Amino acid sequence: MTLLELKNVSVHYGRIQAINDMSFTVEEGEIVSLIGANGAGKTTTMKTISGLLNPSAGSITFNGVDITKMKAHIRVVQGISQAPEGRGIFPGMTVMENLDMGAYGRKDRSGMAKDIERVFDLFPRLKERQKQYGGTMSGGEQQMLAIGRALMSNPKLLLLDEPSMGLAPQFIRQIFKIITEINNQGTTVLLVEQNANQALARAHRAFVLETGAITHSGTGKELLANPAIKEAYLGVG
Amino acid sequence: MLGGQQHGPPSISFATVTFTVSFTKHQEEQMLSAAVPSLIHALPMVVPMDDSWISFDVNALAQNFWSATFDGLTFGAIYALVALGYTLVYGVLNLINFAHSEVFIMGCYGVFFTLSALNFGPSAPHLSFWAIVGNLVLALVVAMIVSALTALIVERVAYKPLRKRNAPRLVFLITAIGVSFTIQYLLYVWRGPSPEPALTMFRPTPIFEVFGTIIDSQQIVIVVAALVMMVVIDQFISRSRTGRGIRAVAQDPDTATLMGVNKERIIITTFVIGGLLAGAAALFYVMKIPSGVQYNGGFILGIKAFAAAVLGGIGNVRGALLGGLLLGLIGNYGQVLLGSSQWTDVVAFVVLVLVLVLRPQGVLGSSLGRSKA
Repeated sequence: MTLLELKNVSVHYGRIQAINDMSFTVEEGEIVSLIGANGAGKTTTMKTISGLLNPSAGSITFNGVDITKMKAHIRVVQGISQAPEGRGIFPGMTVMENLDMGAYGRKDRSGMAKDIERVFDLFPRLKERQKQYGGTMSGGEQQMLAIGRALMSNPKLLLLDEPSMGLAPQFIRQIFKIITEINNQGTTVLLVEQNANQALARAHRAFVLETGAITHSGTGKELLANPAIKEAYLGVG
Repeated sequence: MLGGQQHGPPSISFATVTFTVSFTKHQEEQMLSAAVPSLIHALPMVVPMDDSWISFDVNALAQNFWSATFDGLTFGAIYALVALGYTLVYGVLNLINFAHSEVFIMGCYGVFFTLSALNFGPSAPHLSFWAIVGNLVLALVVAMIVSALTALIVERVAYKPLRKRNAPRLVFLITAIGVSFTIQYLLYVWRGPSPEPALTMFRPTPIFEVFGTIIDSQQIVIVVAALVMMVVIDQFISRSRTGRGIRAVAQDPDTATLMGVNKERIIITTFVIGGLLAGAAALFYVMKIPSGVQYNGGFILGIKAFAAAVLGGIGNVRGALLGGLLLGLIGNYGQVLLGSSQWTDVVAFVVLVLVLVLRPQGVLGSSLGRSKA
């Protein structure tokens, strides 16, 4: 079943068009990767889906509901959760408070307790550091916290904006392993990445974004094998 | 213009009597300043009192140290309550809400009309203790509601439309100043240039003595009530769900939205909290300066409260508290040390400048978002 559908979406920053007539879908249970260089419109796409930006044209449907005009904070309750680019950890809040923020829109205490357990199972490091301030943690730990926090709203769709940015290679592998695990637990994942290698290897389907439009699409494996993509994004060829 | 007592004869001790004595002078001053607000207000300060017009009277400070301290804390508590409104709004919107002084003065009018309707006048009322308490609580509630409503209306009418259009920050600032003047002169048109008749809420009675200084009931009421409110606000910001939302928006509005925080609601809440506290400050202000209800009466107090917020570290809740108390104390010490109440603001602002030269982020520095509270 289609969980998320973008239909002919365009996004402008003032007069500058960042996204041009973009359409794609995310099916329930998938990992979908959007890859592209700096300025291709990856983060713009994410912000448009989570509601921080409004499209100038086109429509977005989530779980059968048209959410094009829906306010961002309500989309969270509907089941879209995003770990933003640059992680967006609240530096003056503890790990636990950051996780609580992820559940801001929720009222079911038993469900929240279960999700906290889930997050601590996925990221035992966060459990050890519960009382530490977010701003004092390393980049890798902050990324774990950002993903854990996004899971605290128990989303149907998890949006990850460059989860590997600025991380050491062993952390990158670990993060992607955990992303696969989250997906296996039943959460649909849409991620954008510059690190095309891991993003394509882990994805069911993927799209290549260039200057605000999709130029290639296919399964992760197909795109990994595509010579043009190899050359442009994988640093080989 | 917080400081009826500040224009009184310097030799007078600060408690009780001061206000009745200095009250007429204060009124004169206010009438003068109503004509040409800033110029005339500054004028008396540059006129030498005698041939040696800057002299440090250390003896006087030593003698009056404790009375200056307690009186300074009383004023400081009022500054701090108003400063919280500046600091909270700054933390969330990065906006210096210059209209906050009018939010405060509207609360003063709320106090004035409530107590006038309850037959309070220039002389202390002949009522039982509990009747006075009841009336003051009623005035407090009215003032808080009036100020909160004013803050809310200012936000909706002046700032929200600008946010919708993504206006640059300078536009917000000019709008804030414009709103401040608009409300001031609406009050002027409505109530005229002179202050409202004085209201005495109760006759301050000595409660106890510390280091030979009598602490009166008025000082106790103001300081204790203000401290209780500040503790409540501090705990609310650090512990409640809404408080967490306020801190989240202050640190990173976009990420807060991604967590499901309704930014608009948080902004409204912040303005309302600031208004409630300004309303409370209004009651204490009128208690301390019975003739201070005037169309531009919020202006100087607003500047001082804003200075207090900056002194403590703007955007920081505990900084506003500390800055308010410090500013109250410093002004009072300076006034005793230099021998004239006209020095109060000079000393307070000179110290402010010095502190900011050494520590531009304020004493406690960190912002609302980063504060670990």
